[in-house]
Amino acid sequence: MKSTQYSEKVLDHFRNPRNVGILKGKDVAVGRVGNPVCGDLMEFYVKIKNNKIDDIKFKTFGCGSAIATASMITEMAKGKTIEEALKISRKDVADELNGLPPIKMHCSNLATDALRDAIHNFKTKQKPSLQATPEAKECREGITNAEKFLNRGVHFEADDPSLFIDKRTIVLDRGDKSIEFALTLTKYTPRVVYVTSAKDFSIKPELKRKLIQSDVKILYESRILEIMGITEVEKVRIHDLNENEKYELFVDAVVILL
Amino acid sequence: MVLRRKINNMSVYLDYQSSKPVDPRVVEAMTPYLSSKFGNPSSLHSLGNEATKILENARQTVAGFINAEKDEIIFTSGATESNNLGIIGFAMRNKQRGNHIIISEIEHISIHNIAKYLAKNEFDISKVPVDQYGKVSVNKIKDRLTDNTILISIGYANNEIGTIQPIAEIGNLCREKNIILHSDAVAAEGLLPIDVKKDNIDILTFSSNDIYGPKGVGVLYVRKGIRLTPLMIGGGQESGIRSGTENIPGIVGMAKAVEIMQQEMDNEIKKLRGYRDHLIKIILRKIPKSYLNGHPTERLANNAHFRFSGIEGESLLLSMNDKGISVSTGSACSSKTLEPSHTLISLGLLHEEAHGSLQFTFGRFTSQRDIDAAAEALPDVVNRLRKLSPLYHKT
Repeated sequence: MKSTQYSEKVLDHFRNPRNVGILKGKDVAVGRVGNPVCGDLMEFYVKIKNNKIDDIKFKTFGCGSAIATASMITEMAKGKTIEEALKISRKDVADELNGLPPIKMHCSNLATDALRDAIHNFKTKQKPSLQATPEAKECREGITNAEKFLNRGVHFEADDPSLFIDKRTIVLDRGDKSIEFALTLTKYTPRVVYVTSAKDFSIKPELKRKLIQSDVKILYESRILEIMGITEVEKVRIHDLNENEKYELFVDAVVILL
Repeated sequence: MVLRRKINNMSVYLDYQSSKPVDPRVVEAMTPYLSSKFGNPSSLHSLGNEATKILENARQTVAGFINAEKDEIIFTSGATESNNLGIIGFAMRNKQRGNHIIISEIEHISIHNIAKYLAKNEFDISKVPVDQYGKVSVNKIKDRLTDNTILISIGYANNEIGTIQPIAEIGNLCREKNIILHSDAVAAEGLLPIDVKKDNIDILTFSSNDIYGPKGVGVLYVRKGIRLTPLMIGGGQESGIRSGTENIPGIVGMAKAVEIMQQEMDNEIKKLRGYRDHLIKIILRKIPKSYLNGHPTERLANNAHFRFSGIEGESLLLSMNDKGISVSTGSACSSKTLEPSHTLISLGLLHEEAHGSLQFTFGRFTSQRDIDAAAEALPDVVNRLRKLSPLYHKT
């Protein structure tokens, strides 16, 4: 079955998803699973009263079946006790939707996982796990091949932005000066990626606003492990600290300000 | 034209890269060869002789279209077979000269899988990266050359993002280094004039459906003097390189498609380029955080490829489909392997960005109405999906 050959019920939930949105308040717990790097991200908000799911909302970045399964499980879980809600399996969700293409079963798994995560966080009074992050300080010495490709794609200085015309440039977080340089670079190249090991910035609100509104692509909670190429920089290996995943990204230049 | 009306009434079809309708004039030219003119070119009687004549005329027509000689044209069952015969056939025949082959990171999946097959059979494969617009750098090819390099295979233009490659420049390098250049020209057919002599192309893949001919027919151009090991063994048709009774109706259809293309190509390209530039302008203006994938100017006249922050391509595709508009996506969620498009990743995009991509390709039967419908539908669709997305407000 092709990925887009969905049942009518799946398509209905995709077209008119139920319970989209967020919930706020003391008795609301949040569950978050997945990561956009591998495809989907799902957030569930549950309000629990007297051990029962009083209200439930979701947001998702994902394919058609991710949207449909999230919508479906909110309908199934509402009004149930915590124990009952925890028992909802991915097969239950798929069955309720009159089936899913086999290759898509992982998506409904994500919906049940997100719901379970939210209930777990309610029980343990924890914030969603994806927000709890390890901090890591990267240093130039920690990046394999940074010296080898110096001036062949790697730059330790920010004197001359014209060196970066049309180059996919990755800028390492070094505080305000590196953010300002990343913003300057957007005038010279359409592709600027900013890598920080932090999960958020503690910088001047004005600068933060500028950065978020710009076309700079920000990689939070990430660090550069290795620079790769033959005679010049061709790609970097990145460690996603949050997901503990390593992947490669094609770039032409790396800026590591001293 | 009946076909134009039919396509428009049913839906807005903007996925010409995936499949093209056969031009009605081609169908008409083919029909007699499916019934009364059923001769086999290998037969010695008049019906067979007539088939030989029509086959050789078709060969001449196709050769003329790419500035090749008639006996440099081999008919195959399509682009995948041409790629197999061109690359594996060449590699097997010439492995005593060397075992190193270079392809680009953004080749069509058939080339990537052929390379994978050869890597399991004692060949070394290097992949040359592309820049952020999807262009292959000649210097990066040079970085990868070894004494064992026998073949470089680079597509004439990319089938997903439409970026046109500097083939003539790569051809010069290959001539200078005595390396054979293969190019898969399927995406570029009918959208760029192709001249194998001017570009120094040695082996070229060409298909019929991509110029509005029938599916199941293709061509491999092989420059005189280059030897291949046949992959299809049989009665020795096509100079012994590709056995099997010739698909005369298909070949007649392909030749007719070439004739029509030769006459209409200039105007068609102009029309398509107008549609492309119009759609790109409107989408980038109307949708915040939308970006064009591929080269801003050096791109195929019929290709507009976008990405949108915070949303996923299969959801986009389904939503557009609900509005009667057929498009493609590079999203993993729509693929058999759940991997995002290797072409988009090669541009330097993150998985999440590759997921949010949507591809529009136009063609002969596209009208301004189709473009307007897409330009009107897309902003609403993106807006609705972004409201659902936990990622968008952060970007």
